[in-house]
Amino acid sequence: MKQYLGNKWAIFMFLTPAIVLYSVIVFYPILQTFYRSFFEWDGLGKATFIGVRNFIELAQDYLLVTSLRNGFLFAIVLVVFQIGLGTILALICSDADVKGRKLLKTAYFIPVVLSVTVVCQLWLSIYDPVNGLINKWFEAFGMAYRQDWLNSPSVSIIAIAFTNAWQYMGFQFALLYAGVKSVPEHYLEAARIDGASKWRAHLHITLPLMKETFKFCYVIAITAGIGAYVQMAIMTNGGPGTTNYTLTFMIIRSAFSSNQYGYACAISVMLIVISLIVTLVINKVFDRQESGMEQS
Amino acid sequence: MWMKLSSIALASITTISLAACGSGAPKEAISTASPAATTSAAPAAETKPAATAEQAVVKLTIATNHFDDDTSKPYDYAVAELKKEMPNVELTLQAYQQDNGQKIKTQMATGDMPDIIDTSWEIMQIGSKSNNILTLDSAPETAQFKKDLNKGNEAKLIAPDGHVYGYPYAGVEFIILYYNKKLFAEAGVQAPIKTIDQMKDAAKKFNAKGIIPLAIFSKEKWIGNSFLQGFMTREEPKGFGVLNGASETPAALKLAAKQVEELQTAGVFAKNATQTNYDQASSLFYQGKAAMFVNGQWEIASSQKNLGDNVDFMNFPAKDEATYDKAIFAMNGTGDPSGFAVSAKTKNKEVAIKVAAFMARKYAEYKYTQTGTPIVSVKIDKPITAQVPAMLTRLGKEVIPNIASFADVLNDTNIKLGIDDNAQNLLVSGFTAEQFATNLNKTMKK
Repeated sequence: MKQYLGNKWAIFMFLTPAIVLYSVIVFYPILQTFYRSFFEWDGLGKATFIGVRNFIELAQDYLLVTSLRNGFLFAIVLVVFQIGLGTILALICSDADVKGRKLLKTAYFIPVVLSVTVVCQLWLSIYDPVNGLINKWFEAFGMAYRQDWLNSPSVSIIAIAFTNAWQYMGFQFALLYAGVKSVPEHYLEAARIDGASKWRAHLHITLPLMKETFKFCYVIAITAGIGAYVQMAIMTNGGPGTTNYTLTFMIIRSAFSSNQYGYACAISVMLIVISLIVTLVINKVFDRQESGMEQS
Repeated sequence: MWMKLSSIALASITTISLAACGSGAPKEAISTASPAATTSAAPAAETKPAATAEQAVVKLTIATNHFDDDTSKPYDYAVAELKKEMPNVELTLQAYQQDNGQKIKTQMATGDMPDIIDTSWEIMQIGSKSNNILTLDSAPETAQFKKDLNKGNEAKLIAPDGHVYGYPYAGVEFIILYYNKKLFAEAGVQAPIKTIDQMKDAAKKFNAKGIIPLAIFSKEKWIGNSFLQGFMTREEPKGFGVLNGASETPAALKLAAKQVEELQTAGVFAKNATQTNYDQASSLFYQGKAAMFVNGQWEIASSQKNLGDNVDFMNFPAKDEATYDKAIFAMNGTGDPSGFAVSAKTKNKEVAIKVAAFMARKYAEYKYTQTGTPIVSVKIDKPITAQVPAMLTRLGKEVIPNIASFADVLNDTNIKLGIDDNAQNLLVSGFTAEQFATNLNKTMKK
């Protein structure tokens, strides 16, 4: 091992293809996006340098507020449902006394492997205002309440976010379950010997020790929420109107419908910056918690 | 030593295999002249002799829709005619992917656009601005095309900037309201519905019977856009064209938005209208669950086939009967340029232009003779051989000769998108005409 690690030429040879590929496919396009955001460009002709005008226009765009609001709402639903419920289910499935744990683990992961189109079609029928399952349940229970799930401006984004949360909860569950299992058993045994209940032990031992796992899960959930697109596109096409628009929708519309590639790049820059800020904040919060624990 | 040699051999074999997979002829279908039989009575034109040695074979690629009878039959017919007229021309079809023109735009960027594309005004604008599409003003085919145009179709050929970028085959199309005569009679609703108030009354009667008053496939935003223009052209014949250069939503459009809002409140649309696609909406109409259906005049054949004599069409209602009568022949269709355009990078400019014009004429000929539609770009001197639906006959006799105007083209894509979005919003409870105007004003100020 030392022979390989000491061989700088070998390290360079093995890393270079991956770095080149990453730079060409990921890093260079990101740089191009930043560069093009200062231009007015229709994707085909000559680009005209316009400075920060795209960003000024973006700040005044009435779709921006809707898109940001929807992105953050989407993220909140994902965090609450995927991470919150995923954590509870991971803790339950880690308990050897729970019967059928293996079946439960498999069941939670099944929606993850389904095609997103299939899942969206399924939830479209569930949400149907006339014949949908949920409204039919209300009818069966004798309730007068009915909801137009996908047409209501206030409810539709939650309904669509729930579809994503339902499908990918299994993915977060798998990560969280691995995190729970990585906590050494003797910590929990020691807590039990000291008289702590299972849930108290999880609260004070398991969850704090899963910090790195939570950090990763939060970053994935929140950045996925802010940049959500697929479910909106399939279920409502961003509608009705622009009710369910997100930043990604704005990018798609500006670039491919309006042929304003410079403006689309400006929106992409905003999305990247927001995602980076969110990642930094999450890292800071968790690092502060860790240092707080170390001091105590 | 052996390990090294076998590794090098394996890497070489893999590289060669991948290179072989990546090369090769394009996978698009090669068009043939075979489906003449399925296109029924093809004109008995003289068969020209096969390409002689003096006529070099010219290979052209053409991009157009080819996915259902409406799109594939005219193409097959036109290609069969092309074989007779220009036997030295070989056409290779690149069927469109229903991707809103993204592939064509990409091909423009990469410089490998097909020689001929069947396209819309939006793509023509981008193509001409980026020098990817030829301007056909001085082509001999253009002069002849202008002479042969049907009256009122000038805007389909000549763009707002005065240039010709493509040869159209369709005339100016428009949307109409189809209605089920039987359901109307059973509900005691008189047709045609001339005013908004009459429409609201009709909605009340239909809803009482559990019938959806109007089926609209509003999941596709364009139909909401056209629906709104249908009401706007009762007051302003130019339709959305008045928004070119405007900075505020005009009064006629505000009124149209208000009318759609009132109709939504009156229960004219199904609750899930914005989630309904074409197949669902048309099924509701054809199964007798919806009293009316909105779509282009191209739906006539299908509606007659499904409902027989039980279906008819009417124009959009207006604020009062006097306005309705005045605007009855102000059509909501927009004469924007479309049709077969020619790539500026084609190696065979003259032949490509000839073929583009020929294809447009033959498409028009097919639609006129085989489906009986009078809404084609050029005059056709062949008889109609198809069984013409009664509604098309009525359209041809009562409406088309009396058309007073068409709406003008809206050139700004952003404003068009703004109308698409907000027109769809109007079909949902809680969205007001004031919000529509506010959002559109913001879009126009951008």
